[in-house]
Amino acid sequence: MRRLRAAAAPLVLILFCGTAAFAADVTVFAAASLKEALDQQAKQFEASTANKVIVSYGASSALAKQVQSGAPADLFISADRDWMDYVEQRNLLARGTRVDLLRNSLVLIAPARSLANLHIGPGFRLAAALGNEKLAMANPDSVPAGKYGKAALENFGVWTSVAKQVARTDNVRGALALVSRGEAPFGIVYATDAQADTGVRVVDTFPPDSHPPIVYPAAVLASSKSAAARSFLDYIRSPPAKRGWEKYGFAMAQ
Amino acid sequence: MTELSADEVGILTLSLRVAIVSVACSLPFAILVAYGLARASFPGKTLVDAIVHLPLVLPPVVVGFALLVLFGKRGPIGGLLDEWFGIVFAFRWTGAALASALMGFPLMVRAIRLSIEAVDRRLETAARTLGGSRLRVFTTITLPLALPGIVTGTLLSFARGLGEFGATITFVSNIPGETQTLPLAIYTFTQVPGGDPQALRLSIIAVLLSLTALAASEWLTRRSAHWQGDDRR
Amino acid sequence: MIDVDIGQRLGGFHLDVSFSAEAPIVGLFGRSGAGKTSIVNAIAGIATPERGRIRINDAVLFDAERRIDVPPESRRVGYVFQDGLLFPHMDVLANLSYGQRLRDARERFIDEARVVELLGLGGLLRRRPRTLSGGEKQRVAIGRALLAQPRILLMDEPLASLDSARKSEILDYIERLRDELAIPIVYVSHSIAEMTRLADAVVVLSEGKCLAVGAVDEVIGRVASEREPDHDDAGSVLDTHVTAHDSAEGLTTLAFDGGELLVPRLDAAIGDRVRATVRARDVSLALARPADVSILNILAATVVAIDELPGALVVVRLAVGGSTVVARITARSSRQLRIRAGLELHAMIKAVSFDRRSVGYA
Repeated sequence: MRRLRAAAAPLVLILFCGTAAFAADVTVFAAASLKEALDQQAKQFEASTANKVIVSYGASSALAKQVQSGAPADLFISADRDWMDYVEQRNLLARGTRVDLLRNSLVLIAPARSLANLHIGPGFRLAAALGNEKLAMANPDSVPAGKYGKAALENFGVWTSVAKQVARTDNVRGALALVSRGEAPFGIVYATDAQADTGVRVVDTFPPDSHPPIVYPAAVLASSKSAAARSFLDYIRSPPAKRGWEKYGFAMAQ
Repeated sequence: MTELSADEVGILTLSLRVAIVSVACSLPFAILVAYGLARASFPGKTLVDAIVHLPLVLPPVVVGFALLVLFGKRGPIGGLLDEWFGIVFAFRWTGAALASALMGFPLMVRAIRLSIEAVDRRLETAARTLGGSRLRVFTTITLPLALPGIVTGTLLSFARGLGEFGATITFVSNIPGETQTLPLAIYTFTQVPGGDPQALRLSIIAVLLSLTALAASEWLTRRSAHWQGDDRR
Repeated sequence: MIDVDIGQRLGGFHLDVSFSAEAPIVGLFGRSGAGKTSIVNAIAGIATPERGRIRINDAVLFDAERRIDVPPESRRVGYVFQDGLLFPHMDVLANLSYGQRLRDARERFIDEARVVELLGLGGLLRRRPRTLSGGEKQRVAIGRALLAQPRILLMDEPLASLDSARKSEILDYIERLRDELAIPIVYVSHSIAEMTRLADAVVVLSEGKCLAVGAVDEVIGRVASEREPDHDDAGSVLDTHVTAHDSAEGLTTLAFDGGELLVPRLDAAIGDRVRATVRARDVSLALARPADVSILNILAATVVAIDELPGALVVVRLAVGGSTVVARITARSSRQLRIRAGLELHAMIKAVSFDRRSVGYA
């Protein structure tokens, strides 16, 4: 028994290490579609400044709600303005730090092996192409990618014919995964997502005027106590960072 | 191929820490509740029993949501804890531990209760005539004889806590290094293009951990039964 | 001095007893269900009576009116259970010391070494209860109760689960306890033989009520055979002392106020007091003193009373000198011999009918 107790002591210490403060210098809550690109930016920032960056990815809607509940984020990057407005209206942003960071475009995808051929235009025959199967989209009621997608389909008068066949995922990467695995014959994601996954191919791109402009706002949160947060935000807007974004298919907003 | 990357070690350590802390903190309560249900009779006992078993049958996301409402930073309990003691559960590994503890609690109580009920009460009576107070009898006679059930309950609850997902992601979200336990990490990898191999690796680790916990539970139960002088098992 | 006056209702059973007794060993005698165990449970504090009072020497353990109910752990009552109830997860030594550790050093009057020696536990200390025989378990149970430094020892049918060879062995140990330690013992049993051998004072119980209290030879002889006449060992108890031994023949002579008895050789010294049970079924009657008969003990007796029993049996109470002897014979024989009060005849008892169990040392 005594030996057990002796062995347990160091184990307990190890377990409780790092319980005091949050372990990172900058905590970012970012839209799911930013994953590969932002991870890269974070790595470079960590290398050059010795600051630790943690990113939690998810649907902008879910993240905004978490920020509202007091999640300990320093920086929030949303995939649409609505959710940044949501947070701003609740006075949760650090004044003067909100900027438009990136732009993106919306595409219709199919599994890489698919030979489907559709041209996006008014009344295009998406429902017929789907048959009995599903259209993979992020939740069109709340998640930015889904909202853009629904707006675009409505614009072409196609939404009502496919609405009942939408497989809703809780963020855009979920929709991407469904198409990539061949579980859904079609999906609507960002162009950058399609670029990131070799398991899908772009069938066609939605014209930019068929949906609200896809803009990624970023801001420092009012509750943030991180000195490095602002420098990280500046870093990802800087010219050296621009190349990093463009490599993944993003365009800078300004 | 068989070595773990630094990230994977981090995820594993976090998961183990969350599961171990959740079990260690809920064990005293579980023993108390199990003892009360096994031995005491009081009005509303059936209700208490039902409430204890709720997390077993409720959708985990309901438990997570309830935790968010009560223990979130703005919640009635969470707000007070933060103000008075500086204890925060929301979006922290402590919250993940709380979620795991709640989900595993019914398993722990059940196993311990059965074990306590199996202890011959006349042995407790004999101990009292020898001068043992109720507390001393509990710690020297009841608990040691109930040990197999305590071990089983602990390990079952531990295995359950390792696999806890719904309540965790709803309550403390998915923050790498802080709340991204093994199940959450696997979930995240399923949504990363080309992340399937990593998801698979982590899944295998999850299976191995659970198997180890279950096998250890079986072995320890037998050993403690033998140590108690009961070779029937 | 044990003073018990309690009442309790347990389901359909109604316990209502009141008695005082003082003796090294007080026996609680009665059939199963008579209430013996309920009484010792009340003395130990593990059952609470509805009314009454329990006092041991000067300590009041329970008093319903004054709302005194000392918890069992504070009563210092040692309890040896019928099943031993040794703790299976501890070895013999840990079992023995369980109660000892909880007592103040000032209150200790018996130590481990003494108990181990008294009960022959030396070789058992590291063993686990499950590896012990029935007799060994009981000895450990007795030792454990003693080491808790009790002011009184309760034994609830401690021989019930043992075979007769073990019974004898444990009886020897209990006699040693009585002789070498000063702790009063309350001994519960439904066996007349055990009562005869061990108890000095006996409380006879039946259906929750106290039938009689008194010295063992009066009470067992009179009441046991009257109220429990079909009890195999029912009979009378003679207070005798050893006057001679005959090693060649293997016999011992016991003298009492009604004459002499020849019994198989006893391991006792000349002059030792011995209590002999004479079973009613072992006593035959003859109007004239028979000659050329194998029965060694033929005593002159006078009939005091005759009781009829269910079936074709009759119990005849005889005065032999100053003592009472009880005989059980058929009603037919009673009629044929015209047995009536006042008749003088001979009571005959085979020497062989006196065995180990029927002889107790006082």
